[in-house]
Amino acid sequence: MKLTVNGDEHIHQGGGSIDALLKELGAKKEHTALMVNGTVVSSEDWNSTTLNENDEIEMLVFVGGG
Amino acid sequence: MSKDILKVGDQELGSRLFLGTGKFSSTQAMIDAVKASGTELVTVALRRFNRDQAEDDLYGPLSQLENVKLMPNTSGAMNAKEAVRAAMLGRELSKSPLVKLEIHPNPHHLLPDPIETYEAAIELVKQDFLVLPYIPADPVLAKRLEDIGCAAVMPLGAAIGTGKGLSTAEMIKIIIRDANVPVVVDAGLRSPSEAACALEMGCDAVLVNSAIAAAEDPAAMGAAFKTGVEAGRMAYNAGLMPTSEVAVASSPLTSFLSSDD
Repeated sequence: MKLTVNGDEHIHQGGGSIDALLKELGAKKEHTALMVNGTVVSSEDWNSTTLNENDEIEMLVFVGGG
Repeated sequence: MSKDILKVGDQELGSRLFLGTGKFSSTQAMIDAVKASGTELVTVALRRFNRDQAEDDLYGPLSQLENVKLMPNTSGAMNAKEAVRAAMLGRELSKSPLVKLEIHPNPHHLLPDPIETYEAAIELVKQDFLVLPYIPADPVLAKRLEDIGCAAVMPLGAAIGTGKGLSTAEMIKIIIRDANVPVVVDAGLRSPSEAACALEMGCDAVLVNSAIAAAEDPAAMGAAFKTGVEAGRMAYNAGLMPTSEVAVASSPLTSFLSSDD
C-alpha cells in the first residue's frame, strides 16, 4: 500500500493498521501523535482506523522547544 | 508560611519559573537544567518523527521527571488553523490541557501575530484547552484574550532569543494592573536579575529558555534563575518601599558633632 509519511513516499507492507505502520517505521506508540489526511487521529481511535492507499500521514514527536 | 502556589486554570504550580527545552547541547544538559531550576512546567515542541534522530525525542526523558508538567507549544504554526492542529497533536502526547499558543510567521523577528493568535485562542478555549498565548506586550490584546477565556497571558519581554531583557516593562506593568489571570513574561530574558525584576513588578511567572540553554553552564544558570525568581516573588510579597523624588535620611541628622558652641 502506497502511503505518504511525513512528506515521503512509503510502501506499507501490512494491512493498514496504525500499529503496523508504527512498528514498520520503528516509532514508539506512546511517543507519537498522528494526523491522517490533515485530521488528528487520537490514539484511542487507532485500533478502529484503517489506512488506505495514498493516505497522507504525519507522525509527530516531542522535541526541545521554548 | 503557606506555600505560594501559582494557579493556571486548575493546574497548580509550586515554581514560578517555566522552562523551555530547546537549544540545549544535549538531552542530559536539558534534564540537568530542569532539575536544577526547580521548574514544574516545561515547554516542548512537535517535530516530524525521524528514526535517524531518535535521540531528539524528549517524551521518554521528560516523562521520567517527577512533578514536571509538559506544555506543548504550537511553534511552526503560521496561522490559527495550523496552531489549533498543533495544539491538538500536542495534547495527544502530553495528556494535559496546557498549551503555549504561539504564532509567529516572520522568522526574522519571531514576533507574535496578534490576530491569528486571538482567533486560535477562541477555538482552543472552546476545545477545553488551558491556553497560554505568547503575545506582544499589548494591554488591549491581553485583556481581550483574558475575556475569551485564556488561562494566562504571556507578553514578551523582548524578541525570542535576543536576551534584551524587559524592554517592554512599562506595557507589562499595565497588563499586570488590569489582569485577572496570571501574567507570564515569555521571551527576551537573559539574566536572573531580570527574572527577579519581572516578579518584583508583579508578574506571576517567567518562561525562560535561551538564557539557560545557551549559558556556559546551563544547570548552574537554571539554579541561578530559580533563586532570582524566588527572590523577586518574595520581594513582591514583602511589598517594595515607595520611591521618593527627594532624599530621605536613614540615619539621624542631629547636630551633636557641630562645633558651633
